Amino acid sequence: MAQNKTQQHIRTLDIDHKIVANIDNGIIVLDESLLIYHYNKWLEHHSGIKEIEILNKKLDEIFTINAKTLKRKIKTALRLQTPTFYTASSSKYLIPIKINQIKNANFEYMQQDISIIPVDEEQGLVALILTDQTIMANTNTLLETKIQTIKELNSDLLKERDTIDKKVLVLKFDPSFHIVDISQALLELMQYEKEELLGKNFFYQEKYHISTELQMQLVQAMKELRVLEFEENTISAHGHKVCFKSTLVPEYSAKGKHIGFIIFRENITDAKHLAQNQEKILASSRSAAMGEMVAMIAHQWRQPLSLINTIMATLKIKKELDTLEENSIDQAFEKIQNTTTYLSDTIDDFRDYFKPNKLCTDVNLLSLFDSSIFFLKDEMNQCDIRYNIEIENSITIKTYKNELLQSIINIIKNSIDAFNEQDIEEKEISVKAERKKSHISIILKDNAGGIGKETLSKVFEPYFSTKSKNGTGLGLYMCQTIITQHLKGQITMSSQHNETITLLELPYKLIKEKK
Amino acid sequence: MLNYELSEDEKDVLQELMNVAYGNATAVVADMLDAFASLSIPKIRVITTTELLSTFAQLKSESYFFATQSFSGEFSGESAFFINQDSANNLAKHLELENEEDLDDAILELTNVLTSSLTTKLSQEMDTEVSFSLPSLLKVSNTTIQETVTFKQYSQVIVIDTDLNFQDQKIHGKIFILTKDESIQWLKTKLNSILELLI
Repeated sequence: MAQNKTQQHIRTLDIDHKIVANIDNGIIVLDESLLIYHYNKWLEHHSGIKEIEILNKKLDEIFTINAKTLKRKIKTALRLQTPTFYTASSSKYLIPIKINQIKNANFEYMQQDISIIPVDEEQGLVALILTDQTIMANTNTLLETKIQTIKELNSDLLKERDTIDKKVLVLKFDPSFHIVDISQALLELMQYEKEELLGKNFFYQEKYHISTELQMQLVQAMKELRVLEFEENTISAHGHKVCFKSTLVPEYSAKGKHIGFIIFRENITDAKHLAQNQEKILASSRSAAMGEMVAMIAHQWRQPLSLINTIMATLKIKKELDTLEENSIDQAFEKIQNTTTYLSDTIDDFRDYFKPNKLCTDVNLLSLFDSSIFFLKDEMNQCDIRYNIEIENSITIKTYKNELLQSIINIIKNSIDAFNEQDIEEKEISVKAERKKSHISIILKDNAGGIGKETLSKVFEPYFSTKSKNGTGLGLYMCQTIITQHLKGQITMSSQHNETITLLELPYKLIKEKK
Repeated sequence: MLNYELSEDEKDVLQELMNVAYGNATAVVADMLDAFASLSIPKIRVITTTELLSTFAQLKSESYFFATQSFSGEFSGESAFFINQDSANNLAKHLELENEEDLDDAILELTNVLTSSLTTKLSQEMDTEVSFSLPSLLKVSNTTIQETVTFKQYSQVIVIDTDLNFQDQKIHGKIFILTKDESIQWLKTKLNSILELLI
């Protein structure tokens, strides 16, 4: 029996010994004074120091270590008869072991967890069990760097979110249309508190502002999970009208699951207001144009009418003197007939030109200017204004003819009006056209005194006029609207010395927008 | 449904046992700190996790070090040690520590000493053995501690308030011993057998 027990003891010792030698941990047996009793194979391999070289030497003679702390931990372990520890996270390592692993690039020395286990109470021996924690420590370091990056990204994101909240009009609701979020900017505009709207049904909330038709469209778009752009006219909590240009967008989670809808809104209340105003401006400009047309017709008619008058007077005198001949009556009637035809043609011409075009046509610039001069010829002659047209006969552009004509007449009329208010010798209006690569430039120039800088910056504003009377202040505003919006061109005005230069830049070929 | 609540009698016995265990720890801590230090008589309470979370809520305002260490065996669970910034600074000063990592190590050591002395003594009284894992510092802010769901796996919590008094400074710490339901069942049986012996 006793022999069996000894055998078993030896076998156990043998097993223990093998385990201690081959375990993937470092094991050192020490006493309280740090004297080394055992140094296992793992440590021999890793530190390059043989057990035989260091037995009965003190650990702090071999390695640079904090002896005070180690002694304290050993003492505590022996006293309590429970393990004490070093952790890699706070102590890095105890036994300096160089590592040469690519994957553990963050550390020069092996990071160690160490348990100090009391093994012999009587002799006061403890075992230091080292566990290599370099990989873990490395992962932790990497993780911390990543966490730092994520934190920074997160704070950037929060800032952006804050900006969006303050600046962007946005409303979110879940798939069952309950409002889940609403930006501060939108709340302020609509004069609501967040709590008043959260959880409310979007359609219920908007029931007075959304037509049944739009509601159907929205529901359909939501069903199909597609983007929908629409306009909303709503009323704020305090009763102000607010118009939105809105975009409905389905919202998805990071994993691609549909989680609701977002409506981005753009406040177009002011733009709408302006658009309504513009309609009014257009209407009054139309009546102003009508007035001008009548004035121009009157100009054109004055001379032929006086011709008719003269013929009639001559006929009357001849009749009274009894010298009226059959022949001269016929001649007079023919002249009157020609003149009245001319009068009638003039009206037709004006009517044709002032009717807005529905189609783009090829317009020969030279003949366009000839006709514009035709309408203004009488006025120009009266004021003794010379005009000079320098346009190649071959220049033709495709555009809305009458709109362009109307603009040109307007500009030239402005020049004539300017001459009327100034006393200038050698009055001259000149027109030039230049071919450019992408467009054609038309330069209209007069020497009617020029325009001051302050005035120049306002000439295209509606209701701006320098004219003492009869100025509607809409002429150039309308010109700009026509040139930029209808003819897709540019109009600029500049002034040098006593000259005013109007530059029109027009595309060679106007492509009609599809509506 | 099993009853994981401790009765008044059971609580009394447990507190008595903890007092004995804590007395044992005092000497070791004094030794560890290598100075004349005394530990005040601990305030020991047994509370539920819900109460624990509300205790954390009260800690919110201050900056804390928070270390945990788990122990296993028939009596298993985890201990959590709280020490505030001021106390930790005092500890560092006393131990003449040079850097933050040394302070982390000292806090872990203190956690280990308190946990092992308390639970070893308790387990001895209850005729069982426990083994300890490495303690670790939990680097989370106090606001997130309350949201740490892992606390919810524990039902009963033994709370020990302790003061380490030095000649000129005080170090205050709070230690929580968190036990799982199955351990509570075991603990109740053990406590009741001790109770029977006492009667």
